[in-house]
Amino acid sequence: MPKQPGSNLSAYLSHELRNALACIQQFGKILVDGLAGELTGEQREYVGIMLENASRIRSVLDSALDGVPRPPEKCANQVERVSKLET
Amino acid sequence: MDKKKILVVDDNPTIRKGLGVRLRANDYEVLFAEDAISATAALVMERPDLVVLDLGLPGGDGFVVMERLQRNDRLASIPVIVLTGRELAGNRDRALQAGATAFFQKPVEDNTLLFAIRKALDISSGGLRFDQ
Repeated sequence: MPKQPGSNLSAYLSHELRNALACIQQFGKILVDGLAGELTGEQREYVGIMLENASRIRSVLDSALDGVPRPPEKCANQVERVSKLET
Repeated sequence: MDKKKILVVDDNPTIRKGLGVRLRANDYEVLFAEDAISATAALVMERPDLVVLDLGLPGGDGFVVMERLQRNDRLASIPVIVLTGRELAGNRDRALQAGATAFFQKPVEDNTLLFAIRKALDISSGGLRFDQ
């Protein structure tokens, strides 16, 4: 972690948090889309919850680090798609 | 029809693996590089159809890779999609000026990235104009 506060810290946080979040989102969607095998309805629901919350974190990050408020709509769609698959 | 070849350049092995799974599931051939030096070597030896490029790389950052790409007549037309964890300020405009076709911050929605890839490949093969 950088010793200097300010923009270095912001750059560090952006890089580290966005990469970690990208991994969570990437593999969550790989699971939801069945690319690693079919999930049960319950498993899909739980991964959907993970994705929805990852999307919320992303929204906070965009707002806090880049000043770009972005609603977590895309991930919500993903979760909606999951529930449609279950019905 | 031959699969389009995409070079994924990222120093994070988990990101590389995830993008590889997603891109292969969408019928692309995927190559990987983990730093600027191996990315440059892969560009010359494999001549991919498109590059998904991180900016923060060991051995010279993504801007160095784009600069090398632009300087090589044989490679300059390869579309580059920047996918980075870096901040927007100072990176997005610089990347687009350096020749990137698109700039995305991580995490990017799969559909958004796949659409950008399809569009960039269509444009580079002469099938579409930018305004389509």
